[in-house]
Amino acid sequence: MKDIANLVGMYMKTTAKSWFQYRVDTVLKSLAVFLRESTEIIVIYFTLLKFKELNGWDIYEMLFLYSLIFLTYGIMIIFFTGLRDFGSTVRSGSFDRFLLRPRGELFQIIFVNSDWFAAVGHGSLGVVLFLVSAGRVGISWTPALALYYIFSIAGGVLIQGAVFLFLASLNFFLLETGSLKELLYYNMRRFAGYPISIFHRFIQFLMIYVMPFAFVNYFPAQYFLRKSDINAFPEIFMHITPAVGAVMYLFAYLFWRYSLRFYKSSGN
Amino acid sequence: MSFIEVSKVSKTFRVSKRQAGVTGMIANLFVPKYEKRKAVKDVSFSINEGEMVGFIGPNGAGKSTTIKMLSGILYPDSGEIKVDGYIPYKQRKSYVSRIGVVFGQKSQLQWDLPVIDSFELLKAIYRVPDKVYRNNLERFTEMLDMNAFINQPVRQLSLGQRMRADIAAALIHSPEIVFFDEPTIGVDVVGKERIRNFIRELNRQDNVTMIFTTHDMQDIEKTCDRLIIIDEGSKVYDGSLQGIRKKYSTLRQLDVEFADDVEIQPINDVKIVNMEQNKKRFVFESREVRINELMNTLLNKYNVKDISISEPEIESIIRKIYNRD
Repeated sequence: MKDIANLVGMYMKTTAKSWFQYRVDTVLKSLAVFLRESTEIIVIYFTLLKFKELNGWDIYEMLFLYSLIFLTYGIMIIFFTGLRDFGSTVRSGSFDRFLLRPRGELFQIIFVNSDWFAAVGHGSLGVVLFLVSAGRVGISWTPALALYYIFSIAGGVLIQGAVFLFLASLNFFLLETGSLKELLYYNMRRFAGYPISIFHRFIQFLMIYVMPFAFVNYFPAQYFLRKSDINAFPEIFMHITPAVGAVMYLFAYLFWRYSLRFYKSSGN
Repeated sequence: MSFIEVSKVSKTFRVSKRQAGVTGMIANLFVPKYEKRKAVKDVSFSINEGEMVGFIGPNGAGKSTTIKMLSGILYPDSGEIKVDGYIPYKQRKSYVSRIGVVFGQKSQLQWDLPVIDSFELLKAIYRVPDKVYRNNLERFTEMLDMNAFINQPVRQLSLGQRMRADIAAALIHSPEIVFFDEPTIGVDVVGKERIRNFIRELNRQDNVTMIFTTHDMQDIEKTCDRLIIIDEGSKVYDGSLQGIRKKYSTLRQLDVEFADDVEIQPINDVKIVNMEQNKKRFVFESREVRINELMNTLLNKYNVKDISISEPEIESIIRKIYNRD
């Protein structure tokens, strides 16, 4: 354990030192991510100023829903940047180097590289949205609720991590999965900004069973808010985000282990 | 049982076959066609501890694939590899801490950071004990003359300096086997010589087993005792450098400088090449032409100023093997 902690510390120190070579750039990049993501919120904010509510959700409830997306993404990207960029790692042959070191492949991918710009940009936006909304949506916070909130965040991180891990495993067969990630992940994430009850059944199906963003924010948010539109879905869905995360990640991990055998390496 | 045992190893890749034209492109999208390409066919060899072996072959011959299987990156389809009791691709994590790999074309150093930071990071990755680390660092800094740039960011180094730092990085955990994949590529003559000297010295002092792949025959001639040639996935030669001369080279060449510009009449079985000014080169098979007869003819007929016999360079022999002529 001490050895692992020491190494993770070394990796972080190395990454941090590299950014400090470009101090101004680091700050600007995080700010750019923060502002880019904020525009979406601003659009919703002004829309709801006009319409008051969306399918029973008022502005603060919407912001609470949104905060889960940004918080989980901010944490997720600290750990899974290496999986997000895995296609280029395989194509450039850098994955060979990981295989030549006496450490787990996944461990190295996770800890060698972190997109701190995205983490800080998304994460701070998530924190701001949470602070703005959490006191205004009628939740009376108890230690038990707070604990479930933390587990839900962890579950949301794992769900998205599992999708990244699954797509990264496909790289061993396809070499490039960038557009699949764009289609399946980033496009679906746009839907997740809204309560899924407003969408057509087909999109709801996608959001629950294909790319389960509903478990990242809608269902856990409903656990706290209990808006009436939850009645359209099985009640159990509100309680299982941590389990969905754990199971999905486990399956993605097993698929990763299996796919690793098919690694072909790249020519010189 | 040798230190490294490779027996009947084969590896096939499935490569997608592109069809020509727009229709082909669309067809490819829906029904991709693949063809199997055998990268390595039934290759066997064994290497003893402390040996220095050059691994050569034209591009795409399968030498990189073989090296990748030996270093645990790729699984062979059939056959078996054993290195000091380990099966590299099955016991990857415990195996790789005993090997070091230098890719001449891909640095493992942290681009933006001083060289020493990469070494520190590798120390943590390989769990190198403090004492071993300090010893190695001191020794390699001295041997590779890295003092001047060890605190400079890697991006500011010259190619030769970067290569030296990369070699030190691959050795910081005292590996027992080191793979060098084109370790002198792009480095100038002086730099190359320095790297070769270091490699020889390290082999002599620590009895490290070394395997090279390179296109630079000078690398092989100056460092290796043994040569394995791979072509089209198969082993075509395995033996000493002298052996390859004996086996493949029955070719001899005679360089003659004449006193004046003369026209040489054709001689049976001898190829005549014009060199600069009054020099000519006579190339022939030692089986077909007796050298004393040829020399006699030349000395009697023409006014000869200087004469010298030489064996062709190893490079031209290798080229001959690749072309199979």
